Amino acid sequence: MTETGRYLYAIARDLDPQVLAEVPALAGGRLEVVEHRGLTAVVSSVDLEEYGEDGLRRNLENLPWLEEVARGHDAVVQATATRAPTAPLRLATICLDDDGVRERLDAWHDALEEVLDRVEGRREWSVKVFARPRPAQVAADSPPAAVSGAAYLQRKKAETQAREADEGTAVAVADEVHAALAARSVAGRRLAPQDPRLTGRADRMLHNGAYLVEADEGDAFATLVDELATAHPDVVVECHGPWPPYSFATLEQP
Amino acid sequence: MSQSPDATPTARPYYSPPSASSRPQPANLADILERVLDKGIIIAGDIRVNLLDIELLTIKIRLLIVSVDKAKEMGIDWWRNDPMLNGEERTLADENRALRERIEALEAKESGD
Repeated sequence: MTETGRYLYAIARDLDPQVLAEVPALAGGRLEVVEHRGLTAVVSSVDLEEYGEDGLRRNLENLPWLEEVARGHDAVVQATATRAPTAPLRLATICLDDDGVRERLDAWHDALEEVLDRVEGRREWSVKVFARPRPAQVAADSPPAAVSGAAYLQRKKAETQAREADEGTAVAVADEVHAALAARSVAGRRLAPQDPRLTGRADRMLHNGAYLVEADEGDAFATLVDELATAHPDVVVECHGPWPPYSFATLEQP
Repeated sequence: MSQSPDATPTARPYYSPPSASSRPQPANLADILERVLDKGIIIAGDIRVNLLDIELLTIKIRLLIVSVDKAKEMGIDWWRNDPMLNGEERTLADENRALRERIEALEAKESGD
């Protein structure tokens, strides 16, 4: 028999465990709940060969494994968050048994209640602003062979200056977009812009915002994003969501 | 750019399909990793794993140094389009600006936490 642990996905309140019946758990497991003092932890059993300390250290370096677990974890959190106030847990939170889970619910009870109060009935939206890639210079009017060194350098310099002016404007636009969205949300955060190596996009991310929005104001928020996108054709504005409140469910660490 | 937040909580796509640059994925991996590794509640379990060892920055670096052939197999070929990686010119001014923004973002993040 292999040793198993309890993988924790999220902590919720007033969650009917039935709603999770159809949602797949990690590693082909089954979702279960551990209830304690009015809080519900969403858990499933995982093999400690794979999810123990040694296994995790090895597996977290394995991108396909990490991707699968990250998507699986997020799918469970998402399913929970659409049905009940939910505090998403960070990836790979694992206890040895249900007593361990209850101990955590006990120790963090009040702080978790506060978090759930804060996110209840609200959703997280992600809004990103990208610099619009500058159109390539039309070279037809200046055949390279005929250009002197000085003229070439001068043109290069002009191009660089133009690009910097563009980007300066774009950064100001990103600030403006954030201010407008933050004013329309319960809370707004500027996350670190994602690296192009991770986004797979050549255009630079100027703003990576997360906004906590009342669930019934999602439409109004999306409309505002559209208006901002239209008002600023010089940047690309993208809105994704709703997400579970990952960026707004934070515990005060003791 | 348009998205229509679904009123029913059951089928709710993360991705707003019509946006020009959307990829045919339910949600982009960068967004998911950012959230499940860097956001969300930290409660120490019985299994102690140091996620700091795999913080996003490290993952990005690892993504870069992961065998190029293997990454190609997996369809990860973004470095071809990345000026920083494919040897296109990247001026000092660009670098400085990127660093300044990075600092601002970190400061903003700090004060937002």
